[in-house]
Amino acid sequence: MRKISLLFLTIPLLLTGCASTGGVVAEDLWVKSSEMSMQGGMTAVYGTLTNNTQQDVVLVGGETEIAGVVEVHEMTMIGGEMKMQEIDGGLTIPAGMSIVLEPGGNHLMLMMLTDDLEAGEEISVTFDFDGAEDITVDGIVAKPAEGGDEDYHSGEMEMDN
Amino acid sequence: MVSRRGFLAGGAAAAASGAVGIAAGAAGASLAAEADLETFAASRQAEFYGPHQSGIELDIQAVTNMVAFDIKESVTKADMLRWMRLLTDDIARLTAGEPVLADPAPELAIGAARFTAYVGFGPSLFSKLGLEAQMPEGFAELPAFGVDQLQERYSAGDVLIHIAADDPVVLAHGTRGLVRDSMPFASVRWVQPGFAHSPGMIPAGLTHRNLMGQVDGTANPELGSSDFDSVVWINDGPEWIKGGTLLVFRRIAMQLDTWDQLGTPSKEEVIGRKLSNGAPLTGERETDVPDLGARHPNGLLVIPEFAHIRRAAPQESGERIFRRPFSYDNGMNERGSMDVGLLWTAYQRDISKQYLPIQRRLEQLDLLNQWTVPIGSAVFAIPGGVQGSELLAEALFS
Ligand code: HEM
Ligand SMILES: [Cu+2]
Repeated sequence: MRKISLLFLTIPLLLTGCASTGGVVAEDLWVKSSEMSMQGGMTAVYGTLTNNTQQDVVLVGGETEIAGVVEVHEMTMIGGEMKMQEIDGGLTIPAGMSIVLEPGGNHLMLMMLTDDLEAGEEISVTFDFDGAEDITVDGIVAKPAEGGDEDYHSGEMEMDN
Repeated sequence: MVSRRGFLAGGAAAAASGAVGIAAGAAGASLAAEADLETFAASRQAEFYGPHQSGIELDIQAVTNMVAFDIKESVTKADMLRWMRLLTDDIARLTAGEPVLADPAPELAIGAARFTAYVGFGPSLFSKLGLEAQMPEGFAELPAFGVDQLQERYSAGDVLIHIAADDPVVLAHGTRGLVRDSMPFASVRWVQPGFAHSPGMIPAGLTHRNLMGQVDGTANPELGSSDFDSVVWINDGPEWIKGGTLLVFRRIAMQLDTWDQLGTPSKEEVIGRKLSNGAPLTGERETDVPDLGARHPNGLLVIPEFAHIRRAAPQESGERIFRRPFSYDNGMNERGSMDVGLLWTAYQRDISKQYLPIQRRLEQLDLLNQWTVPIGSAVFAIPGGVQGSELLAEALFS
């Protein structure tokens, strides 16, 4: 049960800058550093992805040196509790729109961390898309944040992040 | 109600520079269009990037938080650099009126409001990290002075973040972001809030008043002048301190109950200047130069021997400081005595040659000491500014 509210903003066109350059643009990315982001643990990447193409684009996954597993996650209500789970088929970014990855919402989940991720460290992440070029972003800074409300739901396995 | 969960128009996202800034900025922009809410106080911005950190060579803002930290035991130089990476980005964004990355309350970034924050390091940090060789010249813990009644809870600290803005909500929001990003590295030792006049209260360039009623700051070097540069900004020594300065911070309590028993002429003699406009007792305007030799017909000095400005005036050239004191108001006791005073700050190139000789003279004789008591004290070395993609104090910690 994914909730998506559409937001149509009436911003004058002159504010829009380089909106028509191709591909997906990532902005203000950050990765969470918490008591969970230790070697073998998990964390997530947040920020804004803007689809500057004429077609819908789907975020299907990613790669980063620091994680063994990368998945696209959503938050959803399961048994009266907010849990996170992988989004079947990825996360669609409609043509010309942006999505916000944020705590308590959709996020790029990094699991089976290969190293501790400490506040102020920087990582590099590749975002894999269907319908657009993959993009690699360097210098994504780890921001200290509480472990958060992201209870993991995946059939057999349950963990906190 | 704007939901940040959903999609945003791509154009707006591309234009705004913050993910969270998109939602907050877009909502702000449409509100502003409706009701012209961009006030002069909200939109004024300080400069973050440059040779010096901001919040020093700047007309004093309305409100401030001085936050001192002690580093955690395990913290290394590399950890300090990670902390500085977070603070550099945070302060740059907050100075521009934007929320920090990962801001849980981006809607509170309602305007730059001349937000500034600078970072400084106490002598204890250098010894904890084994960086004594990087200590700037003329930087050391202060000696004890006879006038001191110092309290631990207002004194010392490994790291200082001195935050200020023209709006209390902007200040609180920015403080929260900077402190949140500091918690992996340090604990809060003390926080001391203060204030000056609100924006628009007195014309730009006019000197502020402290809670004793005095015009306070007249003899300061002028902002933007070469005089200011030579009093305040360091241009040699270790690389990291170039463009920086040394701060003496003193929390000085004012005994207003007894001060208010004095008549105006006595109050004016204590300082050597008039309460009405800050003019020296030997002149008419604030800008008139005090005539320390002038005598009354009866032979007594017009600016008395014990007057604060006589004692504080330089005896050797170079004995000058830049003062930027905020007031504090920490409530009152059951008898209505107010716990007020100054978060007194002096900036200089060399504490031993500038602040110290002045303070030694004031310690020996300054009638103002009867109504003012230093209850907190700390010194911090403030690294130079941030240019381009540098980090704060990068040269010190890498
Ligand atoms: C609550 C404590 C204090 C109050 C209320 C106070 C107030 C004042 C006032 C009203 C003036 C005259 C106007 C001006 O030039 O700013 C002044 C001047 C000055 N004060 Fe203070 N002051 C305090 C503490 C100190 C301390 C601790 C120092 C240094 C150790 C200091 C150093 C100076 C200097 C250097 C001047 C300029 C003297 C000159 O004319 O050359 N003050 N202060
Ligand atoms: Cu997840």
